[in-house]
Amino acid sequence: MSIRETNLAVYGNHFSAYTELRLQRNSSTQISLLNGDVVANTKTSDGGISARVFKDGVWGFASRPQIHNAAVVATIDEATRNAALLARHAARREIVLPRAKAFNESDFATQRPRLTQQQSIEFLQAIDAHIAMTYPDLKSRSVSRLDLDMEKHLYTTDASEGYSNTTRSLISIRMTTTTDAGQPVEYSKTFGGRGQFEDVFTQPGALFPDIAEIHRHLMNKRKAVAPRAGAHDVVLDSDLAGILAHEAIGHTTEADIVQEGSVAGDYLGKLVASPLITLVDFANTYLGETLPVPIYVDDEGVESRDTILIQNGVLKNFMHNKESSVLFGVPPTGNARAYTFADEPLIRMRNTAILPGKDKLDAMIESIEDGYYLLRPSNGQADSTSEFMFGVTLGYEIKNGKLGNAITDTTISGVAFDMLKTVTMVSDELNWTCAGMCGKKTLIPVGMGGPSIKCRVHLGGV
Amino acid sequence: MIDRAFAQRSLDALLRRGFQKARVRLVGSDHHELQAEFGHTNLLRTTHNIELGLLGIVDDKQGSLALNDVTDDGLAEAVDNLWAVASGSRADPANDISQAQPKRIFTSGPDAPDLDLMYERLAEVLDYARSKYPTLKMGSTAISFASRHALFLNSNGVEFDTTRNAYHASLMFTARDGTDVSSFNYTGTTLAALDRPLASLATTDTLMRQTTEQVRTRKVPQKFTGDLIITPDSIGDFLGFLIGNIGNQPLISGTSLYKESLGQRVADEALTLHSRPRDLVGGYFVTGDGYEAQNATIVDHGVLQGFLLDLYGSRKTGLARAMTGGGAWVVEPGTTALADMIRDVKSGVLITRFSGGRPNDKGDFSGIAKNSYYIDNGAIAYPISETMVSGNMASLLTNIVSISKERADFGSGIFPWVRVGGIGIS
Repeated sequence: MSIRETNLAVYGNHFSAYTELRLQRNSSTQISLLNGDVVANTKTSDGGISARVFKDGVWGFASRPQIHNAAVVATIDEATRNAALLARHAARREIVLPRAKAFNESDFATQRPRLTQQQSIEFLQAIDAHIAMTYPDLKSRSVSRLDLDMEKHLYTTDASEGYSNTTRSLISIRMTTTTDAGQPVEYSKTFGGRGQFEDVFTQPGALFPDIAEIHRHLMNKRKAVAPRAGAHDVVLDSDLAGILAHEAIGHTTEADIVQEGSVAGDYLGKLVASPLITLVDFANTYLGETLPVPIYVDDEGVESRDTILIQNGVLKNFMHNKESSVLFGVPPTGNARAYTFADEPLIRMRNTAILPGKDKLDAMIESIEDGYYLLRPSNGQADSTSEFMFGVTLGYEIKNGKLGNAITDTTISGVAFDMLKTVTMVSDELNWTCAGMCGKKTLIPVGMGGPSIKCRVHLGGV
Repeated sequence: MIDRAFAQRSLDALLRRGFQKARVRLVGSDHHELQAEFGHTNLLRTTHNIELGLLGIVDDKQGSLALNDVTDDGLAEAVDNLWAVASGSRADPANDISQAQPKRIFTSGPDAPDLDLMYERLAEVLDYARSKYPTLKMGSTAISFASRHALFLNSNGVEFDTTRNAYHASLMFTARDGTDVSSFNYTGTTLAALDRPLASLATTDTLMRQTTEQVRTRKVPQKFTGDLIITPDSIGDFLGFLIGNIGNQPLISGTSLYKESLGQRVADEALTLHSRPRDLVGGYFVTGDGYEAQNATIVDHGVLQGFLLDLYGSRKTGLARAMTGGGAWVVEPGTTALADMIRDVKSGVLITRFSGGRPNDKGDFSGIAKNSYYIDNGAIAYPISETMVSGNMASLLTNIVSISKERADFGSGIFPWVRVGGIGIS
């Protein structure tokens, strides 16, 4: 049963209350080489049907892995029963969901011939062999490929219908060496983004200049100095500005997090950042460019639209699903997204970015007398208070406007709605990344973007 | 629910295709979840799934496939796909499947969920939060029942049939008093039965109370080097570096700080760490590489007893395979009462949630102490924010000062409070 070709509308006569019916399959490929050995070589496919029913203010949800006719009907019936059962205990009849009708088809599958698994492994082996031959000073190296295709077909009570095949392909490269004292030092970077492997990676050699950069930074890290703990002037490069936009601001402005008590709930219409800061959760397109995670119709059948979160420093909007839009009295924004067929949609970001300014990166670095240039994040977390933390795996000292020693891995932290008021310069470029997964009950791919920003943050260190 | 004959057909099909070694894992799962958001129960979710995991080795080349199309047509396509995946790989003599073991059937947990009781326990904890902690805002709160029946077969004659059913309670909350907001906090417990109120599980009530205290916080008075009292809620973050560095990747690549530490002291003698997959409700019966899981002591009075290598890691390094697949961690209690532990700290932090960057290969770490308290002259002084703690994970374990008599049981782990010294706090 093809996900795209399946006629979901025929099941509409089984809907007895507001219902979303979703057919979905997630497919992934993972190949990992560790010092040349293939340590992971696997494909997964996880698909099925789910139904979500809203009745008397509560939700029933059900899913099954089979996608034949009887399973679809049984799934709708079970979700309907679940809603009715729960409504007997906990009905909230005052909530009426907004109607939404949209239609979209988007398919980011490659038109090129697909590589066989052997060709894929040979692609990675070519990268691995280049690293082994070019950089004999390494203690360890790993090269990994991770693809994810999310294919969805949705049909709702309002006859909203969406088909999407959202694809992502990544290659991660990690190098480890040792210091003169024999202690391990590592650095890694992930490449790729939207699209299937054949569209994103055309030949191994295209990555060799980036690999040289990884090695250069790793060698600098061999002689890294510990940063000084405390508050410092810094330039956050675009990767860090992107994760800041997502973690520190984005999560606090998801309407469900606001309902849970997020501090952002009190700030709507107020100045929360420097006027240099405009922050948007884009649905699918920016300046004519299709973004890393393009969402046209969300998993509640709502047409996705851009949501301006902060405009010139003022908090303007929150991100919504249908239910939260009722409670806040605003239109839904198309932010309801589910990861697997067995997950209900949650309010999730799509492509969240701080918009570029007018400054040049070099001038931003030159403007700092004593501080740090921070380039690469590892993990990040934020909070209902907007207090954030990001791991930093690559950074350099700035002394008298010039880059100095690399610094050891560190952590930066701050209160986002305070820290954004310290922004004094914003660079004129915007770089997107799509390597990470956002975690909120379930995982989901997101896009993050940003320019470089000059601000003041707290560093961990000595 | 799952068909043993289909699992056998899958194994036979792999061998017929030409694989010299093969493994099949067929898992059927049902999941029932009641969820409340913002204090109202608003979702009843029932999901069913069947997953087929196939692994094949031909001429020392290995591939694996996971899918949930368990039809005979789907199987035929999967076997062909797996052949392409494995035969396109690179030969590695370390690839292997588990050796023959006696057939076993394992079961644990109740047969079916008690949906009425799930609803009652959820309503009860929401009522409790409303009445006892009026400023507490309950976020996503859920009780689920997971039923998982798995068949594990391989071409060496291994056959395990496991059924593991359990409840899981998860709570997330924030406190708000006027415009003052706390950090969010959360907890979770895996249970065989819903025989107690959720607020009484593990550290739940303590965390709820503390969150209401944390709406108004201060920074620590100055940068200093002091003690951390690590609560059972956050001890996993501080054991993670050791656990992560005695597994396959760091030992195979030779980057592990602990590669020469077998039989050596890696922690203060107060620390004894077990993996008890066979004892804990949230444990498991079969390891990922296909062996009957056994309980194992990983660190005994500070001395590293074994690595967490699976079959591949063992063959690759020449070191012993672990009898456990890790997880289900249990830390032995100490001899110090928690109240005395706090009283003995001159200056430090009681850390309940660590939000930090991943430690580097040397173990250096830094991160924020969330939902935490400043300890001054033997007493908890006030809740803190914007406080960074930093140190080295390996040194931290050797700098354990004391371990509490009291422990918290999360079903998937049992942990005490642990006091360590020499931590940078700023």
